[in-house]
Amino acid sequence: MSDASWLTDFPQMDRADLLTIRKTLDGAYREFSRSYGDLIESVFDPLLVFLVWFEKFLLASPWWAIIIALSALAFSATRSWKLCIGVVISFSLIGYFGMWDNTMRTMSIILVCTFLSIALGIPIGIAMARSNRVQSFVTPILDVMQTMPAFVYLIPVVMLLGIGKVPGVIAVIIYAIPPVIRLTNLGIRLVDEDVLEAATAYGANASQRLWGVQLPLAMPTIMAGINQTIMMALAMVVIASMIGVKGLGQPVLKSITNQYFTLGLLNGLAIVALAIIFDRVSQAYAVRSQRHLKGGHNA
Amino acid sequence: MKKIIGTAFILAGMMMSAHTAEACGKVSIADMNWSSATLIANVDMFILKNGYGCDAELIPGDTMPTGTSMVEKGKPDIAPEFWSNSFGAALQKAVAEKRLRIAGDSLSDGGEEGFWVPEYMVKADPSLATLEGIKKNVKLFKHPEDPSVSAFMTCPAGWGCQINNANLYRALKLKEAGFELLDPGSAAGLSGAIAKAYERKEAWFGYYWAPTPVLGKYKMVKVDFGSGIDEAHFKACITKADCADPKPTMYPPSPVNTMTTEAFATKEPEVFKYLGKRSYKNAQMNGLLAWMEENQADGDVVMEYFLKNNEATWTPWVPADVAAKVKAALAKL
Repeated sequence: MSDASWLTDFPQMDRADLLTIRKTLDGAYREFSRSYGDLIESVFDPLLVFLVWFEKFLLASPWWAIIIALSALAFSATRSWKLCIGVVISFSLIGYFGMWDNTMRTMSIILVCTFLSIALGIPIGIAMARSNRVQSFVTPILDVMQTMPAFVYLIPVVMLLGIGKVPGVIAVIIYAIPPVIRLTNLGIRLVDEDVLEAATAYGANASQRLWGVQLPLAMPTIMAGINQTIMMALAMVVIASMIGVKGLGQPVLKSITNQYFTLGLLNGLAIVALAIIFDRVSQAYAVRSQRHLKGGHNA
Repeated sequence: MKKIIGTAFILAGMMMSAHTAEACGKVSIADMNWSSATLIANVDMFILKNGYGCDAELIPGDTMPTGTSMVEKGKPDIAPEFWSNSFGAALQKAVAEKRLRIAGDSLSDGGEEGFWVPEYMVKADPSLATLEGIKKNVKLFKHPEDPSVSAFMTCPAGWGCQINNANLYRALKLKEAGFELLDPGSAAGLSGAIAKAYERKEAWFGYYWAPTPVLGKYKMVKVDFGSGIDEAHFKACITKADCADPKPTMYPPSPVNTMTTEAFATKEPEVFKYLGKRSYKNAQMNGLLAWMEENQADGDVVMEYFLKNNEATWTPWVPADVAAKVKAALAKL
């Protein structure tokens, strides 16, 4: 049967060869995890300690203090009473429906993920904007990060680091960091050549141009990127809970397996509420911080 | 003339397909997302297709979604390896309402659930094979996120066994011993955690079940609670979320059934008879799973391996003429 079939069937690699490749690579990874696992785990230890501390801190803080802090933050960023009231109402409902602890857990991990994504993503975006070679190298990596099904890299990460918060953070960051990198790159590249030329003419050196001209002008685009990063991080909450990250994802998984539709919806809505609050606050902050650039007519 | 012959061929073809359709028709088999179920589903598909002339196809599935779909929609027709306990009361109701029918046991010894520790730990300290020993050495099993407590890895969120484990956790006084329940999140998270511990020879204590590729590959020892099995109490209390006073008991063997929809069972009594006879021993299944793991074999490959090498096992499941047809098809592979 296999003699003349190469015209109709794709000439496929021999099963035995493919098997050897699969087994060799798996074996090599196992070997790697055995010999370097402990070392890599200890590298991530400070992050784990911080994550555990931050979660305990949020869980231990009294609920009213957190609501006050969040609405104060919302108000200082947006100057909008409406959003403030929205924060109070949504968090009261979250607490009333018994999702407070899980929401705090999710919030702590998402805040850390967002912060790390920004801290890593903006420098990478700047590097991409400055060099076409870096851009052509990083862009395909970002494509892989955004499309590769999470479990393909999650389970190897679990073998390396165990289940829990650190692999969860890694998974969330892999998925959520691309927008901030892409949009930082784009924002800087879109800054007008003439403006840069003027800055050079005034004697600005490279770092002055970056900090004084390019980054401020690119800020609205970068903020859009940060915004997307926050949204995507929250969307990953359920996937992260599949490797043992506590939070709103776990009840969602539980309700999926047991078909508790209401429980699923409630926890899903709590994730949405977090997302909307984060989104509005960061967007309003970006708009307000940019207002002076637009001149009086836009205020 | 040519045209007539052509038409005749087409007609003959139609008649033949009409004939086979009459013999059995379309059958959908749930291909659950774990190895032993994939193996059983592939074997069933091959035998149904070639032995009974069914137009059989595999549909990806998992216990809860497949079970629900079979009850509510009557599709797929067959669930070849169904862990009935995980479906709980819904199963008894569906059987009573004549929506599902249990054909037989897929695994004749039943599934083996329990709390396990890696074999290398027991070799180093034989007392760890008992719960007493584990409680005494509680400090070994460090919680990954909080070194001040110890971790017992339970079932992923939402699984029936999560309730059982929570009740046993109370009954066995694991909390008082210093253990905390650790939720691995998913089956993949649970097996990943075992693989990680095993590759690094770390301590691990948690729930798992057999026959599975994980327990085939990583040798584990089932922890003895020293209580024996109290099946009545297990069913009446341990499996219930509101069990007031759980008492220690080992897991009774868990029934692993072949399940069909009632409609299929009445329509295809011959196939149903086959499904009733078809069952695997745990030892044999473990061997097959180990072979699968070693060769990273997919369902169709292990199906071929099983049918070619275990004729004595599967020929009694079917009438002689069906067996002959299957053998003929097998020779062509």
